[in-house]
Formats: sequence, C-alpha cells, structure tokens
Amino acid sequence: MNYKKLSIIAFIITCLAQLYVPGKMILDREVVLKAGKEYKFLTRPIDPYDPFRGKYIVLDFQDNTFEVPAQSKLSDQKTVYVQFEKDAAGFAQIKDVTLAPPSHNDFLKTSVNYVGSTKQAEKKKLNIRYPFNRYYMDEYKAPQAEETYREANRDTSSTTYALVSIINGEAVLKDVVINEKSIKEIVEGKNKK
Amino acid sequence: MKNKITVRLSELIDAGILSSDKAQEIQLFYKKDLDQSQNRLFVIFGVLGAILVGLGIILILAHNWDDLSRATKTVIAFIPLLLGQGFCAFSLFKKTDSRSWKEASAAFLFFTVGACMSLISQIYNIPGNISSFTLTWVLLCLPLVYIMRSSIVSLMYIIGITYYTCEVGYWNVANPLASYLFWLLFILILPHYYYLYKNRPNSNFMIFHNWFIPLSVTIILGTTADHSEEFMFIAYVSLLGLFYLIGYLPFFKNKRRVSNGYSIMGSLGTVGILLFLSFKWYWEEFEKNGLSFFSPELFISFLLSAGAGALLFWKIKNIRTNKVMPMEVIFILFIPVFFIGMGAPVLATVLINILVFTLGVLTIWQGANENHLGILNYGLLIITALVICRFFDTEISFVLRGILFLLIGFGFFFTNYWMLQRRKHLTVNGEI
Repeated sequence: MNYKKLSIIAFIITCLAQLYVPGKMILDREVVLKAGKEYKFLTRPIDPYDPFRGKYIVLDFQDNTFEVPAQSKLSDQKTVYVQFEKDAAGFAQIKDVTLAPPSHNDFLKTSVNYVGSTKQAEKKKLNIRYPFNRYYMDEYKAPQAEETYREANRDTSSTTYALVSIINGEAVLKDVVINEKSIKEIVEGKNKK
Repeated sequence: MKNKITVRLSELIDAGILSSDKAQEIQLFYKKDLDQSQNRLFVIFGVLGAILVGLGIILILAHNWDDLSRATKTVIAFIPLLLGQGFCAFSLFKKTDSRSWKEASAAFLFFTVGACMSLISQIYNIPGNISSFTLTWVLLCLPLVYIMRSSIVSLMYIIGITYYTCEVGYWNVANPLASYLFWLLFILILPHYYYLYKNRPNSNFMIFHNWFIPLSVTIILGTTADHSEEFMFIAYVSLLGLFYLIGYLPFFKNKRRVSNGYSIMGSLGTVGILLFLSFKWYWEEFEKNGLSFFSPELFISFLLSAGAGALLFWKIKNIRTNKVMPMEVIFILFIPVFFIGMGAPVLATVLINILVFTLGVLTIWQGANENHLGILNYGLLIITALVICRFFDTEISFVLRGILFLLIGFGFFFTNYWMLQRRKHLTVNGEI
C-alpha cells in the first residue's frame, strides 16, 4: 500500500475518532437524562469565569458529607459509590457510601474530597465530590443569575437546589431551581421587565 | 512594480559594469530566494489566521446561546469540527504540495476538536477534568502530525502533553505513575522531529522544535522525583550536559545561535544550578534521611549521565576538529562533588565554587581564543554572577567583597578593550 492510500485511511479513521469522542459524550449523557432518577440537591451558587467554557455558576452543595466508622477503608482520593435517598422535604441526602458498586443502578460513582474528624472519636466524616457542580449559562445572563441567587439568599425563606439525573454511576445536572422556578426563567423574566 | 534588485541591475547594465546575461542570472537567483521567503510567509500567516479563526469560533460558541435548544447547540458544536475535517481533506487531496494549506487546515482542525469537546461539556454541564480533557484532545490530533505532516500540530501536541504531565505530576498528583506516560507520549512525536531534521533542517519549525523539545523534557523531568528528590540535581545537571553536547553537534554548526535551544538551555541551566548549589546553606540542610540508592531518581540520573557520557565519548572519537569545551565535562565532575556533599558540606561548597569560577575563566579563555566577544563576556558574566551570589554570604568582609567587584569591573573593561585592540591589529595586518 503506498503512502497516499495509507494516509487517506489514517485520515478517515482519525476523523471518525474525532467525531466519536464528543458523540460518545453526548450519548452517555442522554442515557442519564432519559433513564436516570431525579434528585434535588440543596445548593449555594457563586459565579466565577471560565474563559474556555464561557460563563457558568459553580454550585456548592450543602449536604455532601457522610459519617463512617473511624476504621473504615474509605479514605480520600478513593473512588466510591454513593447511594441517595430523599428526606422529608424531598431533597437528596446520602444513604450509603461503598467501595464496590451496589447491585442496582441507582448510584453515583465519584471520589472522596477529603476526610474530616467528628465530635465522636470512633467516627470520621467523608466529604464527597459531586461531579455536577458547574451550571453553564448564557454569558450575559450568568452575572444576573448570580445576583438573583444573592437576592434569594438574603431571603431566608427561599430554597435553591440543583436538579440532577443519576443512573449507573453517571450524573447530569439538568437545572438550577430557586423557589421552584428555573434560574433561566427567573433571569429571562427580569430581562423582560 | 519593479523591485530594488531589478532597478539596481538595470543601473549596472546601463553603466556597462554588468552584461545583460549575467544580470538575468542574478535576477533568477534572487527570484528563487524571494519565492521561498514568500512561501514561508504564507505558512506563517496561514497558521496564524487558522489559529485566530479557531479561537474566535471557540469564543463565540462559549457565549452559550440560551435561546437555542440543546439539540441545536449540539449540532452547532459539530459544525466547526466538520469544517476543519473538510479543509484538511481538501488540502490532503487537492493541495498536496501546499505546505501553507496543510499547516493552516491542520491548525484549524486542532482547535475545532478542542472546541467541540468543550462545547459538549458546556451543553451537558460536565465539569470535566482538565488533564483528561487535554490528553484526549492532543491524542485525537496526533495523527494529523503524520497524515498532514503538520509541524504546528506537533508543537501544540508537545505543549499539550507537557501541560497534561504538569497537571498529573506536579499540581494534582493522583497517580504517581501517570507522569511516566509522558515519555511514551513524547516518543510518539520523535519520528516527526526526525522528518524535520532530515527534510527541512533550516525551517522555522525545526528551530521551534529545537526549543520546545528540550524545554518540555526539562520541565517534565522533575515529575519523576519521588522520595529521594535530592538526586534530581544529578539528573538535571546530566540532562543539561546532554543538551549542551547535542547543541554542539555538527548539525548546529553554521546555524544561528538563537536557533540552538539545546546549547543555550544546557549552558544557562548548568550555570544556574551550579550557582544555586554554590550556597553553603543548601549542603548544610541536605536531607540525607530517606535517600535511597534504589530510587527512580538515582536510576534516571544514571541513565542521563550514561547517555551524556556516551555522547561525549562519541564526539571525542568521531569529531576530531571539535575540541572538548569546559561546559561539556561539568556533568562528570559534578557527580563526585555531589556525593562528597552528602558527607562534607563545606568541602562540596568550596568545590562547586571552584567549578563555577574555573568554568568562567575557561569560557573567557575560549572567547579570547575564538575571538568571540559574546563568549568572552559570557565567561565574565558567570564570574560576576558567582561574585554576586557570594555577596549574600555574610561571612565575607565588605572590604574583600568590594575588592572582588573592583577586580571584576576592571576585568570587563580590560578584556573587552584587549579583544577589540587585538581585532584592530589583526584587521590591519590582514589576518581577518
């Protein structure tokens, strides 16, 4: 086979690989969105700037810790499998953290940020990394979204949460909601006024 | 419009100094030269244009148009990528001989691959991990280096793998072995470097590679450090010695000094490390506990020293006209000094100072011999830097320090004056 033919074949394979990788990223997320179970995670957003991906809100979760016995093998930097349950108000809270995946598909695969101490010597506190802490917004709307959040935060009666779909270890952040209204809708409503 | 040469030539023909045949020959010669430089300019501007357009597309799409649906945004994210692939296919099939087309389209495709992945991340709110993102990006573009023979993608690839290894090796160490992946990724680009060396040794891209490759290796070598990191000094001095030796291979002869990243980095790096180690505090605080003779650091040091030693030996044997320069043997002398320092810090400090001083003096001598003002003053600068370092050592009296500075100052005046006088003398006698 001559060099020209070989480079044509290599070029086609390269192009297919370049299309496959982003394509696979989409497919994986679509599966989570369609089949995943929805959870509401209580949050506290702030607004940094990522020159690479435009504007986004970084979400800081309220309930991302879990207490385990001090002698547990669970430690920082380790891959863990987290199962969630809903509390009385309908918000997600950690039910269990394990080193092996559970038998069902309703779990999140992530890692432990760090391990902290508790008041009881026989227990330690795991700080779990939630891999859905960025919510991308329109460049012009992100600062307004932050402002909206601050207003909501001053008002102690308002609640902010992230709507997340979870299945088979994967998670996709669907929306950020303030008082049962999408942050996008709130910002758009403000613009119309 | 007539160019300068045509005007000058017609003047010479009119004056009867040059025959019209000769003038035509001269014109043809310069036309070839002009064509070549124009081709170079096309490549430079083509690549710059492609990079700017690629970055522009990333920025426009990063606006994150909220009014568009997820499906529309996803389709739009793929358009630049497909466009980039189309341009590459066009230059591959239709513009086979145009380097500017190939380089520009490959550069554009490189950016659109990154743009597409980051846009998908944005659409689906994937926080992502910058190291795996960079690695996937550059690996997806690596084949372009060979298919399109693209040197700009090769340079981006080197930047990409260096950034990736810094991320996993220095900043966010998750797996200590991950930094070793660099060497495998690095080997993948070497065939292209060899291609440039064989086919386009005088191109601008070769010059860039001669800087990027040693720079990348120097940055990444530190990621191999584990618990016996003190030994990395041997590894670095040997690596820089190896660079210096490479920089003085016949390939670099008659090339501009600025194009020789190896010799500049090797020389400045070696002097820098020696100056750092010329302070007593380093040797006094030398942490011997925990140093293992079976560490990866010592193994790497051994490999690099053996490599540099082998190249030195080869040069002495095969290139007889090339005299051994003082800088070329520093790495050999440094090894025993380093081990002496483990037991006798004061002796090591004295030896390092003697080493730097001798290096400075020999460099001045080399400059004087070769009638090269640059080398001569570089030798003087080495000694000046050594004296400035000693200025910070409080034990030396002010009087002694003052005398040292006076001597160096006079040294600068005297040697430069002497060299210029000698040049004048040689010119008068017709020896230059």
